[in-house]
Amino acid sequence: MSLVLEQQVALVAAALLAAATLVRVWAFAAGRSGDRPTFALLMAAVAVLGAMIAGRWIREGQGPFLTMYDVLLSNAFSLGLLFLLVSWRLPVVRSASLVACPVLAVLGIWMLVVPSEGVPLPPTFDNYWLWVHVGAGKLFLGVCLASMSAAALLLLRQRAADSRRMAMARDPEELSRAVWLLFFLAFVFHSFMLVAGAVWAHSAWGRYWSWDPLETWTLATWLLLGFILHARATFKGMPENLGYSLVIASFVLAFLTFFGVPLINNAPHKGVM
Amino acid sequence: MMGLVRKLASLKLTLIGMVALAVVSLVGARTDAVDLVWTIVPLVLLSMNLAAAILTNRSFRTQTGLLVFHVGLLLVFALIGLTVATRFNGRVEMLQGEAFDPSMLEVDYRGPLHGGDLSAIRFVQRDFEVDYLPGIVRQETRGVIDIVDDAGGQRRHMIGDKQGVEFGGFRFVATANKGFALVLGWEDASGARQFGAVHLPSYPKHDWKQVNDWTTPAGQPVRLELELEEPPIVTDAAWTLRRPTGGYRVHVQAAGAEIGVVSPGESIELPGGRLIVADLRLWMGYSVDYYPFLPWMFVAAMLAIGGLAIHFGTRYLPQAERKTEAVIQEAPDGHVIGA
Ligand code: HEM
Repeated sequence: MSLVLEQQVALVAAALLAAATLVRVWAFAAGRSGDRPTFALLMAAVAVLGAMIAGRWIREGQGPFLTMYDVLLSNAFSLGLLFLLVSWRLPVVRSASLVACPVLAVLGIWMLVVPSEGVPLPPTFDNYWLWVHVGAGKLFLGVCLASMSAAALLLLRQRAADSRRMAMARDPEELSRAVWLLFFLAFVFHSFMLVAGAVWAHSAWGRYWSWDPLETWTLATWLLLGFILHARATFKGMPENLGYSLVIASFVLAFLTFFGVPLINNAPHKGVM
Repeated sequence: MMGLVRKLASLKLTLIGMVALAVVSLVGARTDAVDLVWTIVPLVLLSMNLAAAILTNRSFRTQTGLLVFHVGLLLVFALIGLTVATRFNGRVEMLQGEAFDPSMLEVDYRGPLHGGDLSAIRFVQRDFEVDYLPGIVRQETRGVIDIVDDAGGQRRHMIGDKQGVEFGGFRFVATANKGFALVLGWEDASGARQFGAVHLPSYPKHDWKQVNDWTTPAGQPVRLELELEEPPIVTDAAWTLRRPTGGYRVHVQAAGAEIGVVSPGESIELPGGRLIVADLRLWMGYSVDYYPFLPWMFVAAMLAIGGLAIHFGTRYLPQAERKTEAVIQEAPDGHVIGA
């Protein structure tokens, strides 16, 4: 796939994600389910993003690990795919697409405005542990997105005056259980991402931890996740809403770490150049 | 005694410790206001808190996964402490043809209990080359060193981006920091000669200022600037940095004014002696690190993650699976949402 073609296909992917969002929001406003068209559009978007990654990979001879565009493209794909997988295994989470779709659409549209030219990977990136590290990070963020979306839906549900509209989050208890199940799973993946990243850093640069901005913010995110799980176990009577708000806060922090820190620092890790 | 341990095991203390660790890490890493050494305070607090909880908290007796995770975590904390006490981080610039000497090391950090023996390290830096893509994008580094054994024999060892070299726990990794070095001779009034090298700034990072200051053995400060006839750097094509074979000249300045231009093999008279430009070579910058407990830290961290996985499987998953089955029975098409 040539770069020009890839840029055109990127427009299609972003349009599909935006369409999924519009359909979902419209269905919500109309008090309808909207599941089938939303998920059909989402699946199509993920398939197109997957094809873009494959085409790019073959053309550049390297995976999407480096530039901001790489990060946005690969995460739009992995987050979309994981949301689909989670919705398939935990059907109660499907309603949370009301929150997940706009996040995916933001990534898709953002991807259109950053330079898409490939940059050759530094030699230290060619390492087995990089794959494990990046893979664990994608699993973390995908599962965290699903958890956050469900938490946000539960918060919305309590605010919504129109109960008919919110009937979509029909079983709040089960949805709440899904929030915490996914949040815990996100914590497991995040922990593994940290360890795999340290192994990679050690084999690539001889140092397992160098307090670069990405590492520091990732540690802060991990501590926040642990803090939230702990707070829930410590204060058994903690208001549910506070718990959901904290889940949203940790996704926001993770999102800023994944997409904000590389934006400011140009390269995913300072040790690279 | 047990009362004190129970108090120390307070879960509220854990929350405080976590916040403290996050704050010290963020402030320490992003500003100079706090030294990162202070992360040790929340880590010690959390370790004592955790050890006390492992001894006294009932949750750990019934939830094996949780226990394994926290024991793993405690081990990681302990190993971080041991690493801080024993680790060594330094840098060394090795000239082509030069043998390693511990006195050349620039030490960044040496733990108070560091027990590594640098004096046993013997190797000689040989040639290396570094590939660049158009736009000066660094690619592969390939190099050779000769490791010298006790009997004085030499063994070739390749150095590359994925291939460092380890001596008694010290890991040498070639870095992006490398450049040219002028090999100079000094002949004093009596005719006695000595040789040494002046390393020029990192190349191609500082290609526009291949200059360095040096003081002659007679105490005269001079400034030496390298002028390559054909600089290897190309911005719009691929090129390779390797030991220069083309012509070059050295501009010698004293007190801000140029006092001569010296070609290879030639010399210039200076107060107290004669400066000879003998050779032009490359130097390679290595990071030198010593982390004796790192493999154990990895094992402890993986143990902790295994514990989390067990906890997920035994505590979270069963609840969710039971409930999901019930929902699917209720609506076989899986279309469970919707008014
Ligand atoms: C350092 C002192 C620590 C102590 C004393 C401690 C103690 C505990 C205890 C007693 C529980 C069981 C709570 C319950 O189910 O009733 C627990 C759960 C947990 N802790 Fe810790 N912990 C510590 C540190 C950490 C850290 C640093 C993290 C990660 C950042 C962490 C992550 C967790 C997680 C994920 C759970 C499971 C919560 C759940 O089942 O939802 N802990 N901890």
